[in-house]
Amino acid sequence: MEKQYDVCIIGAGVVGNAVARELSRYHLRAAVVEKESDVSMGTSSRNSGVIHSGIHYKPGTVRAQLNVQGNAMMTDLCRELKVKIQYIGKLTIAQDEEDIQTLHSLKEQGEANGVPGLEILDAEQMQKIQPGVGGIKALLSPSTGIICPYGLAIGLAENAHANGVDFYLSHEVSHISSTGQGFRVKTVAGADLSCSVLVNAAGLYADRLCRMLGITEYSIYPCRGEYLILDKRLQGSLNVLVYPAPRKGGAGLGIHLTNTVDGNILIGPSNEYVDAADDYACTAQIIELLKKEGHELLPGLSTSDFIRNFSGLRPKQTPPEVKGFKDFVIESRKDVPGFINLVGIESPGLTCSPAIALMVRDMVAERLPLREKSSFVAERPGRVGFFHELPPNEQAELVEQNSDYGEIVCRCEQITKKEVLDAIQNPLGVKTVAAIKYRSRAMMGRCQGGFCLPRIVQILQKDFGYRPEDYILNSAGSRLFAGSVR
Amino acid sequence: MSKKEMTCIVCPNGCQLEASFENSGPGLQVTEITGHLCEKGPVWAEQELTHPVRTVISSVQVDGGDLPLVSVRTDAPVPRNMIFDVMKAIKAAKTTAPVAIGQVLIRQPAGTGCNIIATKNISTRIS
Amino acid sequence: MNTIKHDVVVIGGGPAGLAAAIAARKNGCKDVLLVERDKRLGGILNQCIHDGFGLHKFNEALTGPEYVQRFIDEFNSLGIDSMLSTIVLSVDGKRNLYVSSRKSLTRIEAGAVILSMGCRERTAGAISLPGTRPAGIYTAGAAQNFINLQNIMVGKKVVILGSGDIGMIMARRMTLEGAKVEAVFEILPYPSGLARNIQQCLHDYDIPLYLSTSVIEIHGKERVTGVTVAGIDKNFKPISGTERYVPCDTILLSVGLIPENELTRGAGIAIESRTSGAGVDDAFMTGVPGIFSCGNVLHVHDLVDHVSDEASLVGEYAVRYLDGEIKTPESYIRIEPRQGVRYVLPQKVSGMRDFTLSLRVTTPSRDRAVWVKDGDRKVARKKLIRLHPAEMIRINIKKEKLQGAKMLEVSVE
Repeated sequence: MEKQYDVCIIGAGVVGNAVARELSRYHLRAAVVEKESDVSMGTSSRNSGVIHSGIHYKPGTVRAQLNVQGNAMMTDLCRELKVKIQYIGKLTIAQDEEDIQTLHSLKEQGEANGVPGLEILDAEQMQKIQPGVGGIKALLSPSTGIICPYGLAIGLAENAHANGVDFYLSHEVSHISSTGQGFRVKTVAGADLSCSVLVNAAGLYADRLCRMLGITEYSIYPCRGEYLILDKRLQGSLNVLVYPAPRKGGAGLGIHLTNTVDGNILIGPSNEYVDAADDYACTAQIIELLKKEGHELLPGLSTSDFIRNFSGLRPKQTPPEVKGFKDFVIESRKDVPGFINLVGIESPGLTCSPAIALMVRDMVAERLPLREKSSFVAERPGRVGFFHELPPNEQAELVEQNSDYGEIVCRCEQITKKEVLDAIQNPLGVKTVAAIKYRSRAMMGRCQGGFCLPRIVQILQKDFGYRPEDYILNSAGSRLFAGSVR
Repeated sequence: MSKKEMTCIVCPNGCQLEASFENSGPGLQVTEITGHLCEKGPVWAEQELTHPVRTVISSVQVDGGDLPLVSVRTDAPVPRNMIFDVMKAIKAAKTTAPVAIGQVLIRQPAGTGCNIIATKNISTRIS
Repeated sequence: MNTIKHDVVVIGGGPAGLAAAIAARKNGCKDVLLVERDKRLGGILNQCIHDGFGLHKFNEALTGPEYVQRFIDEFNSLGIDSMLSTIVLSVDGKRNLYVSSRKSLTRIEAGAVILSMGCRERTAGAISLPGTRPAGIYTAGAAQNFINLQNIMVGKKVVILGSGDIGMIMARRMTLEGAKVEAVFEILPYPSGLARNIQQCLHDYDIPLYLSTSVIEIHGKERVTGVTVAGIDKNFKPISGTERYVPCDTILLSVGLIPENELTRGAGIAIESRTSGAGVDDAFMTGVPGIFSCGNVLHVHDLVDHVSDEASLVGEYAVRYLDGEIKTPESYIRIEPRQGVRYVLPQKVSGMRDFTLSLRVTTPSRDRAVWVKDGDRKVARKKLIRLHPAEMIRINIKKEKLQGAKMLEVSVE
């Protein structure tokens, strides 16, 4: 049966969700259609989690403007959505005279873009901020921050959902047609939606979506970045983000260390074009390279500190033979009226996401009347951070109030049963084991679920009636178990 | 005369034994065993050459217990070639909580002459 | 928040914690508390349903649950206090613990603390396995939990990476329950587990063991579909041309155990890189007075019998510490691993008491002797027919032999 919406957004990454959340302020019927079983399963969850300052982009580009704007929006947004963010600042390091020139031009460029507080530091000042850091000069950008990227994407989606946006998860788009007044969207799983405005936030698949509407000028080239995650033991060895000064011809920002808001350190990302938009494999060569870099960048790193590797894909518009960057495409198509097209939203897409949402809102307003809803609730329930981050007295109080707080399920990350239950009963209704992981952080610690997965399986069995065949990791074919022993 | 290298499984030492023997099948005669650290080695080796046996270990389904399975073992080693016959009996069995360590859950599975006993206490589930 | 006081607090109710608590009680301490995160005592032995435990201690081949039940029975008959379903959140250098249970968050002031938290398994991430991350990759211990405690079968067509004992035991276990175990692959040129397990868990069931071979890539987007394996050279690099594809739906990892020392670190106790456990003296006291360590959290053992023995001693030492008999001496005699020795434990001794030196060798060999020397002077010597990294070697050393010793050096000669 056909379901009618004013706006359909294809893709539940951070950009799609930010658009959905922004539009949920208005009297609009909106839906997000996503092929994966959960939001934030692609590029949005597989990145460094950095909120960039905006020094890297040419003044006047869409990226430069949205980056600085998005960065400034993050504080309020994260407060409303209960997402952890830390503006820890970044040092871009110069190793030689040529690099120093680069720092000066980055500073000029950043200032032209409106980046606040930029400062060139000498070696002594650098040491004060990050003892032991190499290099002769550095550019300090204090507005650079770190965030839990999937935390933001999930927060946006849940808040959008609470404000009336429908989410169609596990709904891969099979067919789109322009009807003159709007669009008809059909999915493999059988949804049949119509809408006046269609937003392409399909990330790595944005070019394919374009082609479904006869737009052929865009191509996405997936460019893989691999990472290693380090044990929390090393928490505190990095006070600030440290990046090498960019060199010519690089497609990313270079392999570097990034602290995460949850206390791990990431090494990466690498840069390697791949053929498939879902090729998330990690490779022996890159793992070895990252380990080598890690040992150089972080003395005191031991082999037992590597807890996991992962990779993400940048939706690049520039093919391997060209490399480099191309500006974001954010357009309301004249040839396909009502089609708002977002293409090539790679780094700093996470930072830009709330600003992109405003741009899209304005484009929607050209086609549909936007009336603010008095019922819109900007605040997401809950609190920022985890039980284990609270002082003992507050923990004790919570345990008194709810005994599920007293039961630690994930030993490494000290995640409580209450937090696991909240994740299982997530507002979007996602039933996968990965959904529990991304929402609660259980299974993300150094034992990678060796201890808590059996406990979570038990909770799902006892409290939610799961049978062995009901446990899936993240997609229908990713069953955890083969059945019962007896 | 034939020789055979064997790993003794009696204890964690896992001695590398060398057995010399004559004939094969039922008429096998052990002439010499070397490489053992204790006297259990030669006894085991002779048994292994003539009539190998193993303790079978698995689980039996429990109804109403604090765990869904009770771990079990044979109370004596069974002929190695009968392991899967014994497993068949174990897979078909079912018991009810409570279960106590040592409790016989299956008598003489597959005609082996041994019993399947519980190796864990299972209490009744409080729901 | 509630604060309580106890003389001896034992963290962990596995074989080490149980033996330590029992010994503390038997040595006259009436106020022993054991804190266990599970609802059942016994620790990992509850899922180790195979036999082979207790041959040294009881001269019987018991299964894990049977072995540990003997200790649980004794623990209960001595009326020792325990907090079950309670996890220790932190310990500090002044022996204050925060513990959490469904009832409350509690602060415990302990006279002495015994760390016996055990160890955890190395994961696919820890060994940075290349390839995809589909469902179907388990540590052998997690699979053991699902199969033996939760009645859940993890897979049907299995490849096992690493020849640790748990991996081999799970190969047999899964075969008995109807799975097809394709092979066990070991990156080292020699097996990591015991020889008897190669016989009774692999050979008995015609499961091949490939040495100097490893998984170099995992395949499968949703569930594991197979692995690429290859021969591995001396430098641990895959040998080109030896790659082959093995279809499977499950990968079990048995690639090593890591002592679980996060609480230890939090208490400011230095961790030895060789054992990944606390550095201890001959009373098993860590760098923080009054905090002791034993069992697999101190160093990974191959036999639970040795864990029980070690922990019994530690229970006694903790009580003697409370009685003022055990103090940090003015100076220690260091013990250093030399040629052919991977680690020694304890790493330093007071010289005031007899002790058992535990050690592991670096490579397999035959007909060698382990020497303990003080300069050129022989302190102890143990002749062994077979030396293997998988088998811990223990040497008893009398205090008389330590008089005037400056540093002990341990080597294989």
